[in-house]
Amino acid sequence: MQLQDKYRIAVLSAYALSLHAFENLLPTPIPWLRLGLANIITLVALVLYGFRTAMTVTLIRVILGSIFMGTFLGPSFMLSFSGGVASTAAMGLAYLTFGNIFGPIGLSLIGAFFHNVAQLTLAYFLFIQRIEAVLFITPVIILIGTLTGVANGAVSGLLIKKILQKNGENIQNDKAD
Amino acid sequence: MKTVIRNTTIADKLLFLTLITASVAGIFFSREAMPQGPDIVITVDGKPQYTLPRDKDRLVSIPGPFGDTVVEIKDGKVRVKEAHCPNRLCEKQGWISRGAIVCLPNHIVITVGGKAGDLPRGIDAVTG
Repeated sequence: MQLQDKYRIAVLSAYALSLHAFENLLPTPIPWLRLGLANIITLVALVLYGFRTAMTVTLIRVILGSIFMGTFLGPSFMLSFSGGVASTAAMGLAYLTFGNIFGPIGLSLIGAFFHNVAQLTLAYFLFIQRIEAVLFITPVIILIGTLTGVANGAVSGLLIKKILQKNGENIQNDKAD
Repeated sequence: MKTVIRNTTIADKLLFLTLITASVAGIFFSREAMPQGPDIVITVDGKPQYTLPRDKDRLVSIPGPFGDTVVEIKDGKVRVKEAHCPNRLCEKQGWISRGAIVCLPNHIVITVGGKAGDLPRGIDAVTG
């Protein structure tokens, strides 16, 4: 890994962490409702710098974020971890397989969907264990996730465009590995 | 805003529409498919012992100080079929589809609808 990659991962992780923390401070009507703002950074990292960077940033964000919040290895950490890894993996797979068929919004939607599916599955096995309760809440969560996913995808799209315009030549894409 | 729209591919739009349609349909469908009202909860000695779906007919017999009490669930309703306490008030109450049957001598509370935590809290001691 080149030195520049390390800087890049550090800066992206810092952005992702601050968004993650900021989001935790926002009051939400329902306790488990999250906007997923940190997904913006994951998506930017994925499109501009490749899958490995995106996954590293996600792991750093989830683990450090939970340590800062004091939830490390607790239930909310497990949910956050599984959601983050699943959504990054799904977005990476979609991006590597389909290339430019999906724009940032589509990728963000895929990420949001798999984030929610992973969390609901884990929540079912670990905490709820009542299938009717999970099935009841699933469509609601998917709907909210789709709406926030579009918003995050739009912001990511703008960010990617701006960064590309600003220093198009300087960006090294490590998609090859 | 223009950039955002221009950056959206057909696949994005299709994905968005699919997700929205599926989740909205899912919300309505899951409301429909739900049984009307929550489970039947049988509490013995203040602890919820049984949580039973109301749409499944069955007989439950619960041991108590006056012998077994038989609770019957049928057609979404519940009753105490057989009790061996002095007054047998619970038996006389018959079939209920909402509310609660309380059998003080046997320390049994049967509630329909609501969770085990929502039991009537008025009783803090059982005498007789």
